[in-house]
Amino acid sequence: MRHRFQILFSAASVALLSTSALAQDLFIQDATVVTAAGQQAETDVLIQDGQIAQIGSDITAPEGIAVHRGAGQWVTPGLFASFSTLGLVDVGAEDSTNDVTASEASTSVSERAVDSFNPRSAHIANTKRRGVTHAVASASPSGDSIFAGTGLILATTGQFDSVINDSAFVHVALGETGASRAGGSRSAALAQLRAALDDAQAYPGRYDAPTDGDALSRQDAAALAPAVKGDVPLIVSASRASDLLGLVRLKEDYPDLDIIILGGTEAWQVADALADADMKVILDPVQDLPSKFEDLGARYENILILDEAGVDYAIMNLTSYGVTKPAALAQHAGNAVGNGLAWEKAFAAISSTPAGWFGVPSSDIQVGPMRNLVLWDGDPLQATSAPVKIWIEGVEQSLESRQSLLRDRYNPLTERDMPHKYR
Amino acid sequence: MKYRPLLLSAAAFLMACDPSSSDKAETKPHKEAKTETAFASTYSPLASVPIRIANAKLMDGVSSEVLSGDLYIQGGRIVAVGANAEAPEGFPSDAAILDAQGRFVTPGIIDIHSHLGNYASPGVRAHGDGNEITSPITSEVDAEHGVWPQDPGFDEALKGGITTLHILPGSANLFGGKGVTLRNIASRTVQGMKFPEAPETLKMACGENPKRVYGDKGGPGSRMGNVAGYRKNWIRATEYKKKRDKDGDDFVRDLQLETLADVIDGKILVQMHCYRADEMVQILDIAKEFNYKVTTFHHAVEAYKIGDILAENGTCAAMWADWYGFKMESYDGIRENVPFVHAAGACAMIHSDDDNNIQRLNQEVAKTWADGNRAGLNISKAEAWKWLSTNPAKALGILDETGTLEVGKRADIVLWSADPFSTYARPETILIDGATIFDRESGLEPKSDFRLGQGEAPFSIPQETSNAGEEL
Repeated sequence: MRHRFQILFSAASVALLSTSALAQDLFIQDATVVTAAGQQAETDVLIQDGQIAQIGSDITAPEGIAVHRGAGQWVTPGLFASFSTLGLVDVGAEDSTNDVTASEASTSVSERAVDSFNPRSAHIANTKRRGVTHAVASASPSGDSIFAGTGLILATTGQFDSVINDSAFVHVALGETGASRAGGSRSAALAQLRAALDDAQAYPGRYDAPTDGDALSRQDAAALAPAVKGDVPLIVSASRASDLLGLVRLKEDYPDLDIIILGGTEAWQVADALADADMKVILDPVQDLPSKFEDLGARYENILILDEAGVDYAIMNLTSYGVTKPAALAQHAGNAVGNGLAWEKAFAAISSTPAGWFGVPSSDIQVGPMRNLVLWDGDPLQATSAPVKIWIEGVEQSLESRQSLLRDRYNPLTERDMPHKYR
Repeated sequence: MKYRPLLLSAAAFLMACDPSSSDKAETKPHKEAKTETAFASTYSPLASVPIRIANAKLMDGVSSEVLSGDLYIQGGRIVAVGANAEAPEGFPSDAAILDAQGRFVTPGIIDIHSHLGNYASPGVRAHGDGNEITSPITSEVDAEHGVWPQDPGFDEALKGGITTLHILPGSANLFGGKGVTLRNIASRTVQGMKFPEAPETLKMACGENPKRVYGDKGGPGSRMGNVAGYRKNWIRATEYKKKRDKDGDDFVRDLQLETLADVIDGKILVQMHCYRADEMVQILDIAKEFNYKVTTFHHAVEAYKIGDILAENGTCAAMWADWYGFKMESYDGIRENVPFVHAAGACAMIHSDDDNNIQRLNQEVAKTWADGNRAGLNISKAEAWKWLSTNPAKALGILDETGTLEVGKRADIVLWSADPFSTYARPETILIDGATIFDRESGLEPKSDFRLGQGEAPFSIPQETSNAGEEL
């Protein structure tokens, strides 16, 4: 028995190594490569010594190198999910596993998502398999605060060092959600937000005692201070056009705010004002239903109109159910293309655009050190496509996850002579 | 016109389980009349003209291959279809021709699990008409009485190719109430949408929801209590049925038990919300104990673990492509659920349970199909199309009427801009019973009352034309 355990352990440690091995030399032949300049068809990529050594159409493969060629394959940077709860919740309906809300807490902005974050959550590996290499993770507002706390940026490696920025933004809700948190009206929500911004602006001078602020305790004001200075973005959940114009007015009073609107279903009605105020929008291009009264103007042309007006936008799955909304990220971008958005713009909206907002360095495919790269078996924006290989910061990733193990255990093609638990 | 009453086909479908039950159903016509006249369907197809759809790539819901050919529609029905289809006798030579120009033509999509109308948009409190959360046993209620025909979600679902949909009560209760099968057609009333002669259905629910909702309201408070609750009420229903069959003086009609007795009689199809594999198999045992059939397990996130058992029992599974993780019983969801169940020989289908995803069920099938083949299966697109129309029609007992492109069926048709397995494809033209009810190019589309006069720019005085200016 002892002997057998040893074998298992050594197999496990080999597996561990292989998931984090440096990029092996590889020649990718005849792929569509997505660079900063757009799609490059029938292009080769040579990866050597952890570097992208060459990109071009007539590269000669070094002798003995592993060659990857497949009809219709694509090479792109990794996808960036501009909003998620990854690592903060295992089972949505089980409170004990869910750190997304803290309705009884007396703190607000100073609640740091990183303190709840678990890189080993099974959903992270399940999401990575869909080409998502980086994500925003944020809590939701709860209790009587409009603030959801301070959020983080993660890489989907599943490693304990996978948090890239543990204080990347502050998230606050206005609109119907903010109104209900603040006591029942939009006016109350805006009053809370303005008072909180004043507290943060006056921090620490206003605070002789921890409770001296108008809206925030000392620790919460300290946490909001970077956002009011514009050092980190303020993500604001809001949808109704009039609420978005309210944000434009807010920015006139607090000009350093770097506002990212989350939702923005009626943004198309005030697109020029948002562009003038340099406000960004995270939206879901398939949101076309008046799901709430604040979404009465929801329509799929939203993203097309924002694009025309020059508003900076990111695409996110904000509609469908489940913990792993980012897994369907590329499909949602594909639907924007189906509705008329240029492919390159839709792809940027799930990669370079939001990455830039949060200060994550560009992972454009270019000659130089290997960064975040996904080799796909087809157009990544097609729901039928999937990653074949993924590198994060130059490290090739395993595509195994809890889902792939369940899949393999119950695959109807698998021969069985013992119960499933033995497979 | 060839027309077989749907009730018979539903009974035939059920016979696999209980050959005697359909015979019993036929012996009590006066009971049928009593229950079926209330809220009867007033649906009648919109006016249509004979039409020939030419040069189409057909995924017909029957063949495993994409076929090239034509499709002839007359009187709202398909009268000829296929590679060598010719105009049948009596088909007017000057009939309209819709040239598909090599584009895909498919049956209209059928969603077997929707709450459009009973959880309507906007999702205000007043629109929560899907769950009768007052008792775990509410088999006396009908989803159709909570359906608001002005839900804007019907119109958006139509643009995604949904021509028939099944609206269910929610899953709070062990016996949630009856579902209703609707044509996705503009109507002022639910009766005007009801699929004529579609069999009635009963929504039941397993697992976490009933025990969570009633745990501190008198139970059930556990899965044990759930099962006891089903069995107790099937015993009541069996007794009720005995009395009803005798029709003695002491028989008083009871809506709650009437539904359950009709299930035992094979007249009502059981559509059961159930996630976990082990739990589904327990439910199949209860069905055997009380001599009824579970037609479909809904959600069935773990159906892939028991595809063989579902196949043996002739029970279908209606599933998502990739939803999982929101509750414990959904934690083991995999992306290959639908194709794995299909490969095990069971009747598999996609479903939405969602007002937004219902608009893209073709994409949901595309991604689960692709992942299934990536896992080693070899399922063709045309075969996978059955998850969108053929199998849901079968599970709703309406396969004789719709769900495939076959002669004699209702002409419920979608013409696509591209391969419907592409994320970029959109329905271009949609017919229900041969009548064009959506056309992207001409802008023909229904618009809910709720959409009028809001959600757009404010009203303004129309700009005068130059001609009008001259008259002034």
